Amino acid sequence: MAKQIGYKIMVFMSKRMLACDEASFLISYKHDHKLGFKRWWQLKMHLLSCHLCRKYSHQIEQLNLSVDQYRESCSHDTSTHHLSDNANVKIQHAVSSELNSN
Amino acid sequence: MSAEDNHILEPQHWVERYGDYLYNYAIVRVNDTQKAEDLVQETFLSGLKGKDNFQGKSTERTWLISILKRKIIDTYRKQYSSKESSMAEYEQDISDGDFYRSEDPFKGHWLEGKGPHSHSLLPDGEMEQAELMQVIQTCISLLPPNLASAFVMKMIDETESDEICKELGITPSNLWVMLHRARLKMRQCVENKWLT
Repeated sequence: MAKQIGYKIMVFMSKRMLACDEASFLISYKHDHKLGFKRWWQLKMHLLSCHLCRKYSHQIEQLNLSVDQYRESCSHDTSTHHLSDNANVKIQHAVSSELNSN
Repeated sequence: MSAEDNHILEPQHWVERYGDYLYNYAIVRVNDTQKAEDLVQETFLSGLKGKDNFQGKSTERTWLISILKRKIIDTYRKQYSSKESSMAEYEQDISDGDFYRSEDPFKGHWLEGKGPHSHSLLPDGEMEQAELMQVIQTCISLLPPNLASAFVMKMIDETESDEICKELGITPSNLWVMLHRARLKMRQCVENKWLT
């Protein structure tokens, strides 16, 4: 059993390394999915050797967290943006004339 | 029966009561002032036409938002159907020449300056929350429209992936590649905001 697992690991290790485009894709992909063992391993190996992708991975986590905060702030806050006065008048006019036509 | 149990529609007050609310909802998702204003107006007009369908189970505001949501998805869908059919193939390919080297032996490696610079995406020390939110919003608005709509549906509306694919008429692999590209561009945009 242990031998088999050891063999499998050797096979994975001997697979060609991922390039940065594939690694960064997986970094994004794993936000929404659980990676299979093979991909997880390939990514792990790539990150060990590539400082740019390590930074990328860290930054994407920060990005995802920031976007989460942004989503929260959007759902609570209704005062950031206002209809311009012109738009307000225009829309009010459209609604009123539709109301009166009925 | 109390007012809470059965909501009624008062269209004469819609614009003053919900105009800004709907506009905020729309602008975050379409990032275009004119388009967002049009969507608000269309929502009210559709609401008027369909007011007999209102059953009073939800509030006026919830009901109007549900109409607006539908209209936003229709806008996204139009963006997709107006693109050339080659887009689907393009979106399958993760190797983006804007970010990665395309020549051997360094094929797929980060292009000079296109990968991350600093360890942290965000500047050290104190940062105004409002400032960060502004940066995120600006960077979403700078995404190409097709990437922005996929990114917003996934990350802001937290729509299920299957649902996004169905609404936009794309395959799951299209979607993952688009989300990847959106994150590439978002990351670069946010980092550049602090570097400059």
